[in-house]
Amino acid sequence: MTDIKRRDFIRTTGGIAMLGATLGFPHVALGAPRRVVVVGGGVGGCTVAKYLRKLDPNLAVTLIETKTSYTTCFMSNEVLSGERTLESITFGYDGLRRHGVEVVTDTVVGIDPVKKTVTTAGGKGFDYDACVVSPGIGFKWDAIDGYDEAVAEDIPHAWNAGPQTKILRRQLQAMRQGGRVIIVAPPNPFKCPPGPYERASQIALYCKHHNPRAKILILDAKDAFSKQGLYVEGWTKLYGYGSGNSMIEWVSAAAGGKVESLDPTTRTLQAEIEEFQGDVVNIIPPQKAGPIAFAADLVDGDWCPVDKRTFESKRHKDIYVLGDASSAAKMPKSAYAANSQAKVAAAAIINRFNGREPGDPTFVNTCYSVVGEDFGISVAAVYTLNAATNTIEEMPKSGGVSPANASPEIRKREVSYAHSWFKNVINDMME
Amino acid sequence: MSTMPRRIASMVLACLWAASLGLIITPSAQAETAEPQGELMIEHFDPATGQRIIPNERCLTCHGDEKEKTDVRDDGTQVNLFVHREQIEASVHGEQRCNSCHTTIRRVPHREAPEVIVGCVECHRDTWEKFQNDPEGKHKRLKVVNEQIDNFMDSVHAQPNKLDESRTNATCYDCHDAHNVGELGSIQRAEKRLKNPEVCGRCHEKQLAEYRTSDHGKAVLEKGDSKSAVCSDCHTTHAIAAPESDTAKRAITKNCGDCHEDAQRTYFASYHGQVHRLGYTNTAKCHDCHGGHEVKDKDDPTSSIHANNRLENCKNCHTDANENFLSFWPHGDADDMEAYPTLWWAKRFMQGLIYGVIAFFWVHVLLWLYRELVDRFQGKGFIENLDRPDIVYFRRFSVAWRWIHALFAISTMTLILTGTTLLFSHTGWAKAVVSFLGGPKMEGIIHRTAAIIWLAIFLTHLTIALTNIWRKRKTFQWFGGTSMLPNMKDLQDLRNMFRWFLGRGPRPEFCHWTYWQKFDYWAPFWGAAVIGSSGIVLFAPEATASILPGWVFNIATLIHAEEALLAAIFLNSVHFFNVHFRPERFPMSTTIFTGAIPIEEFKHDHRLEYERLVAAGDLEKHLIKRPSRRAELAASFITSVLIMAGLALLTLVLIGIATAPK
Amino acid sequence: MQRDDTMTKNVRNLLLAVLALLPGAALAGPSGEALAFTCAGCHGTDGSSVGPSMPSIAGMDPEVFVDAMKAYQADKRNATIMNRIARGYSDEQLKDMGWFFAKQRLHLTPQKHDAALAARGARLHEKHCEKCHENGGRPGDAGTLAGQWMPYLDHTMADFLSGKRDWPRKMKRKVDAAIAEEGKQAIPALIHYYGSQQ
Repeated sequence: MTDIKRRDFIRTTGGIAMLGATLGFPHVALGAPRRVVVVGGGVGGCTVAKYLRKLDPNLAVTLIETKTSYTTCFMSNEVLSGERTLESITFGYDGLRRHGVEVVTDTVVGIDPVKKTVTTAGGKGFDYDACVVSPGIGFKWDAIDGYDEAVAEDIPHAWNAGPQTKILRRQLQAMRQGGRVIIVAPPNPFKCPPGPYERASQIALYCKHHNPRAKILILDAKDAFSKQGLYVEGWTKLYGYGSGNSMIEWVSAAAGGKVESLDPTTRTLQAEIEEFQGDVVNIIPPQKAGPIAFAADLVDGDWCPVDKRTFESKRHKDIYVLGDASSAAKMPKSAYAANSQAKVAAAAIINRFNGREPGDPTFVNTCYSVVGEDFGISVAAVYTLNAATNTIEEMPKSGGVSPANASPEIRKREVSYAHSWFKNVINDMME
Repeated sequence: MSTMPRRIASMVLACLWAASLGLIITPSAQAETAEPQGELMIEHFDPATGQRIIPNERCLTCHGDEKEKTDVRDDGTQVNLFVHREQIEASVHGEQRCNSCHTTIRRVPHREAPEVIVGCVECHRDTWEKFQNDPEGKHKRLKVVNEQIDNFMDSVHAQPNKLDESRTNATCYDCHDAHNVGELGSIQRAEKRLKNPEVCGRCHEKQLAEYRTSDHGKAVLEKGDSKSAVCSDCHTTHAIAAPESDTAKRAITKNCGDCHEDAQRTYFASYHGQVHRLGYTNTAKCHDCHGGHEVKDKDDPTSSIHANNRLENCKNCHTDANENFLSFWPHGDADDMEAYPTLWWAKRFMQGLIYGVIAFFWVHVLLWLYRELVDRFQGKGFIENLDRPDIVYFRRFSVAWRWIHALFAISTMTLILTGTTLLFSHTGWAKAVVSFLGGPKMEGIIHRTAAIIWLAIFLTHLTIALTNIWRKRKTFQWFGGTSMLPNMKDLQDLRNMFRWFLGRGPRPEFCHWTYWQKFDYWAPFWGAAVIGSSGIVLFAPEATASILPGWVFNIATLIHAEEALLAAIFLNSVHFFNVHFRPERFPMSTTIFTGAIPIEEFKHDHRLEYERLVAAGDLEKHLIKRPSRRAELAASFITSVLIMAGLALLTLVLIGIATAPK
Repeated sequence: MQRDDTMTKNVRNLLLAVLALLPGAALAGPSGEALAFTCAGCHGTDGSSVGPSMPSIAGMDPEVFVDAMKAYQADKRNATIMNRIARGYSDEQLKDMGWFFAKQRLHLTPQKHDAALAARGARLHEKHCEKCHENGGRPGDAGTLAGQWMPYLDHTMADFLSGKRDWPRKMKRKVDAAIAEEGKQAIPALIHYYGSQQ
């Protein structure tokens, strides 16, 4: 076959294919583009917006976010240690705009699932064919007596990165030599399960260089935590954990680590058995879905129930809930999980628009923690849907955490992978 | 659908059609529109099969590198990995992809040392299957290739190897360098021909060593003469049979003749060749005398046909051969007056005789036929009177003569049948007959048995005839009306017959024997002398050679055949016409089996004898009653069978003559 | 008017129902695309990584991809996390993912490199590596080297040289020859050469 013939062939078949495509996608043939409104500019929201446009450039995608930039929670612990700046984890939305996403800075105050309209504090209404809600977490302020949103300005939670991170960083820098940092770790489920312990690690790393006699006390509402064995291994190696002079101390719930109240003036915490007083106190409160999830009636209990094949809300049709706010057991509340769920939701929305059945979903989670200098650890899992029970299950034999007692080379590489991971996640969600 | 308006129904159908097209074609169209620049990895794969497309250039990166023609395997062995780029590109496979044949190569670089597995047969068969009706004749050469594949499959090379049954004795690429298969008429092909002995010699080392010493081998290997014989010229390229098999022996002998045409022609004229051409290998073949691989000129003292070695050579078969065998001409050529004058003259004489006799009598037959037909139209000649049916018969032959004629006829036909199979060994019928009879040995036995019977009858007849004459010696008139001896009246009768044929005179009147009957009678005397004596010579070659020179066999073979041919044609055409087929007798005369002839008919044909008997008052002695109906039927049956057999033989002989190779 | 609208809607619904049955309706498990999307968080969108330790897998040879994943599954490659992830997929899924990445165009991120060192690497590559890693190591049947992230290449070569990863056929001989020629600078030179390509 000559080139000319081949080209003609492709041109002809291309034409026919376009005709087929036009007829095959009724929304093009039958009127205006479908509209998707995304509420929340975090990992879930950004990713779903980008992938919706990537999968179908004809969609009109609007992302509504209160802030003009996004500061990642992941890697924010490295800001505490001074390994990186807050600016290095703060990103604007121009990348998404380049993908054709309309980014609106406003705060969503309500979603009408009947009229299919999203309303904002700015008084605007956005009609949608599908709405994606990815609001992240909210805090249960009433869980610890004496701790509330106002107190948090002085005794930070730093669990949504940004100004809170700065407060905590400043307090650490200002702490007296040999001072005590207390981290109050929340009960399950909460955002970023290994996060409190990486925070302890990163603070220890800071102290190792700047405040070598300082101590870090973790008061935990749980008896076990994510990557525990690896953290213990790292802490032992780097911070003398287990020795009489350990920089880090962890008090489990069984040992009386559950905190009941706070005296903000003295920074004294009343735990189940005894009182703890700290120079710097970081309380990570128990968590629930973000406020807009409640406002839009998407919550059942603390979290938003979803059909795990599509992440469509079980409470309202054509509204999808992603990320930390969704009830996506057994996936953790992590950036990678939200990123993975967003792609499943994007594909499901496009299938819905085109009258197709949703495909079988597949998910991955990877999560790196940097315990200290040249000491990175990870957890990973590949998930599949068990449609019968509407649960997301790990693929057998796969996943798990980094091996125990791995070589220093491996631990070092995982640090570099953690940093590369960060770049790629950011790139994939919003660049 | 019945309630749906037609307009909507057609829309649905149109959409279905368009959507299904889109479904099928969309992927390629997307690749074209979305990614206009550069190649994508996916384009290195065949979308239909998912198989990697490996361009030959990729293979030649390593295999075409002049600087690194060898490599070392992991086990330390050296391996030659070089292939000639130009050679492949110029070969008939130049447009193939390397891994179209090297099918185990799916990845480059190879992940492990690849097994060299090449399947030639399947591809050539499939491709031919696809293109055999191609209007442009694309791949038409594959027809030959496929025939050769079939030949190969039946050949000894395709048999499982006896020492390693997991492989065949040889396979395609043991002989063919697939990277260097040239088009017809290309330099590669000429080179391949010269390389043929070396290629075969990779396995057949001993044979190659012998071949090197031969005239063929010297011409090819030393002088680069591609016209001299290489292995495949004799053994064929693909239909190679085991050398001890008849198939191989036949094929090789046949193939010698592709170059040595005269030698083969003269060989086929000899008894050796005739038997061989029937498909049997009992007799000497080219290589039995000339040697197989060590074929040399007769002047070479190491040649098996050198004068000093020749008798030994003959003794391989003729264990009692003597010096006289050496004067036999194995390739005697009766058409070569210079080299074989005796043979030449013998042939000319015999052919003159055949042509003369046949020509004369066929003219005689035709004119007679013409005259009798004309007479019948005019209501003249011998016409059966239906109002007066024959009641009285004339007794013409005694029982003894009738038996002698019958046995003579049967043995003659047997001799013709068995003898002409050799003479016409090129025909299919000859092969079928010999095969039916059980092969050339059985055929020889039958022929010789018939010959003995024939000769015995001849001698018996002679004895009886002479005895009869002896008894009547007082009264017997040697040149009288009842004598078989030709006389002047016969000459006059012959002349008058021709006059009658041409309407210039009346039909002559005959005595007891007509001149044509006398000719029929005397011809076997000549035949018995010629065929009998030559037959005895051929019957016992060793005994003959003890007293006669070898070239007598050449002469004997020639005249035996030519005389037999003359007899076969004459008896089954002229004799049949004279006795049975001329209109007055048609369809047959049964007199020779009943011994009786209707008196009216006798009167018509032998009026002088009739009148003589009437005059002498002896007629009554010869008159008999009409033979019984059963005797008539039996005679008719036997006559019919013999006539049919004779006509069949005539047909076979004429087929043989007509199809004789020049 | 009313009647016309209803009819149009009916037709549309019918079409939707029919089309639902057509493209990609019968799904058995996640699509190759869906599977490959889950890789993007580490390997970049569609496999073009922007993280220096994570190799780009866009435009990767699909069989090399499957080989790599199977080696990870069997712990035959020195892994930190990929062994745990690879074991989550069936052979068929790996193949589908391989085909997805094979269809992607590789977008490279410029890397800092030493031009002089890269030039030496180019010579070494031409002499010892080009036959397998053809076109300067562009994506091909021996993997992707050209423009690949240098830290990743560094990890990979360290694994080969320390015996933590099996050498592909003949590669050790070639690398040894390059090291014999250029000494300790051989590997960095090669890595800078590959990193220098865009």
